[in-house]
Amino acid sequence: MSLLLASLGFGLVTAAVLAVASVGFTMQFAVTDVLNLAYSAVMIICAYVAYAVSRAGISVWFGVAVAAVAGALLSVVLNRGVYTPFQRRGTSPIAIVIVSLGLTLILEFGLQAYVGGNNVSYRVNQGPSLHLGGLQLTVVQLVIIALSVVAMLSVHALLAFTKLGKAMRATAADRSLARTCGIRTDRVVTTTWMISGALCGVGGSVFALDAGSFGATSTDLFLVLILAAVFLGGPGQSYGAMLGALVIGIGTEVSAAYVTPAYKDVVAFVLLLIMLAARPTGLLGSRT
Amino acid sequence: MVHNAVAGDRKSDRPARTALAALCAVAVVTLAACTNTAAGSSGSGSGPLTVADLAPFTGPDADLGPTYLASCFGATRAINAAGGVLGHTLNCKSVDTRGDPADAVPATRQMFASTSNLALVIGVTSDEAASVVPIINANKTVVFSMTGQSEFDSTHFDYFYRLVAPDLDESYAMVAIAQQKHYSKIALAFGNDIGSQTFVRPAIGAIKKAGMTLVDNETLDLQATTFRTEAAKIVAAHPDVILTEALGATAASFLSEVKQLNGGTMIPIIGTSATIAPAWYSSVSGAVGASTLASNYVADNLVVQSTGPAYRTFSQNLLAEKGKVGNTGNFNTYLTAPGAVHLYDGINLAALAMTEAKSTDPTVFRPLIEKIGNGVPGATVVTSFAQGVADLKAGKTIRYVGPGGPTNFDSFHDSTGLFEVDTYDSTGQVKVVGQLTPQELRALAG
Repeated sequence: MSLLLASLGFGLVTAAVLAVASVGFTMQFAVTDVLNLAYSAVMIICAYVAYAVSRAGISVWFGVAVAAVAGALLSVVLNRGVYTPFQRRGTSPIAIVIVSLGLTLILEFGLQAYVGGNNVSYRVNQGPSLHLGGLQLTVVQLVIIALSVVAMLSVHALLAFTKLGKAMRATAADRSLARTCGIRTDRVVTTTWMISGALCGVGGSVFALDAGSFGATSTDLFLVLILAAVFLGGPGQSYGAMLGALVIGIGTEVSAAYVTPAYKDVVAFVLLLIMLAARPTGLLGSRT
Repeated sequence: MVHNAVAGDRKSDRPARTALAALCAVAVVTLAACTNTAAGSSGSGSGPLTVADLAPFTGPDADLGPTYLASCFGATRAINAAGGVLGHTLNCKSVDTRGDPADAVPATRQMFASTSNLALVIGVTSDEAASVVPIINANKTVVFSMTGQSEFDSTHFDYFYRLVAPDLDESYAMVAIAQQKHYSKIALAFGNDIGSQTFVRPAIGAIKKAGMTLVDNETLDLQATTFRTEAAKIVAAHPDVILTEALGATAASFLSEVKQLNGGTMIPIIGTSATIAPAWYSSVSGAVGASTLASNYVADNLVVQSTGPAYRTFSQNLLAEKGKVGNTGNFNTYLTAPGAVHLYDGINLAALAMTEAKSTDPTVFRPLIEKIGNGVPGATVVTSFAQGVADLKAGKTIRYVGPGGPTNFDSFHDSTGLFEVDTYDSTGQVKVVGQLTPQELRALAG
């Protein structure tokens, strides 16, 4: 029983990290029409940005904020420098996925060439472990969960209560109709790259905080989990991604407690396949 | 709430999105399997000879390739300074296997296709040895391998040589260290790669034979990023010690989680000789703290020299190449890392065999590797390539004894020495803290 509770707690932490990254990814996909597989590469670059801040003796939490800015800027640059030119030339969405895959390799191995093959850790005190029944979480893990909740609430507020959020939803639903209605969709798309990039930056740095040690290619498998969470929730569905992250996060950790841990990431895809067989559009996807 | 989604109502793009979803899975799998071959310099057919470091440079075991490359740079520096082999200078080339047989086989074939002046292959870890050694042997190229896999204990390949301990012996050595320290409850935590899993079965057998209790056995997925549940299971089993080999970021993440879940106190760990590597120290000490690691870690290692003329030549040449393999942590650790020491010896042995045979043709010089390594009655002991060449020119018969100590190749070309117990101090320097006798190991053999 205590192992079940402990793994539920660990699953919550994994879900928190996954939720931040997945929501950014799915928002980007919905509004920009780009399935940006280079998202994981941007995440790890941002993790290294926070690491540089931490190495400079500044709080790693400030590093998370800097990573968010770096993620926003880098994502806008990638869009302006790579994806938009391809889209303007009429490149098919599938070809753009391949472009993003190539970009992932360029960014990751470029980073590896720069930082070396060693794995690194943030200078952060994990704080005391807090015991709540069978749950056992450190202060840092609780902060990660809190950060994730704040990020999710912020995304909800953005989409639900702001003019920009409405414009983003309109652009996602039908870009040409949104343009006809007077929405400056190019500006909305750029802003979306910025916001989702910031979430990517936060996701990368909390991923690295959670992992304890990371290298230039550490987010490769995490991208698979992001995709599982996104498609489980329904592609383009921000709330679906949050739900998907929760299911995947808890599912993988609980399965690790009772099945061979070596297969815990396989469990994420078993969950995804079962879900898609029962409901092809994902948990919150539209049936019509 | 009418707006609980960003794109909930869009219908027109559904076929494209479905296709994207399928492609996405394919693309990610492709990304995960993508091969990276990092080629270094290679010479022309009549000019320099190439030593290929065929090992993981990317993937979870990416620490291994650079270790062997450092060794190659050190050895070829010493050999080239002494005039090279029969007038040929030697250079080093890295060939990335990613630690995966599926990538290693094409990388090996490509290495042969693209390297006309290939003189020697080094590296070849347990991750890829079973797949690539038959290919190398079929190409009649000498290989000094780092695999400890048991199948090479009794399978003969003409061109295969091994100067490191079989995994069986290393497993027994780890358990023998646990015995020396009077641990009785043992947990195992090994990576899910071939090279790490090969230790598990013999270790379990040795634990039983020693009358100890195996309280938990966790397999760590080297691609995963957190190991909290695995760490929680180990902590809940209350082991006295954890026997482990998990390279890459895994060891650092896993051990920091063990420490955290154990109330901030580290459980003692016994590592394999592969954990004596600057990259491993750098990542693990960064995650758990250097002093914590220093006071809770030991590893088995083959006895290597730390003084004497062979060591001086080795250390001078190796340290002169500092910086050529990138940012790998404390470079001095390579002076003790088994991969660096024993492959340095292997390259020197092969170069001396070529010199004595007056040929760089492996079919001609190969038999002399055993003669120069094991020695013959009356042979003069040499401790460097330069000294060996001078003695050969003087008409003497030589036996090479390098920083890895004397070699004793058996009929399968395996040579194993004695084991010692190593640890790191709080600055990352490797210290010898104990010895293991052959009797201790034999007592644990299955």
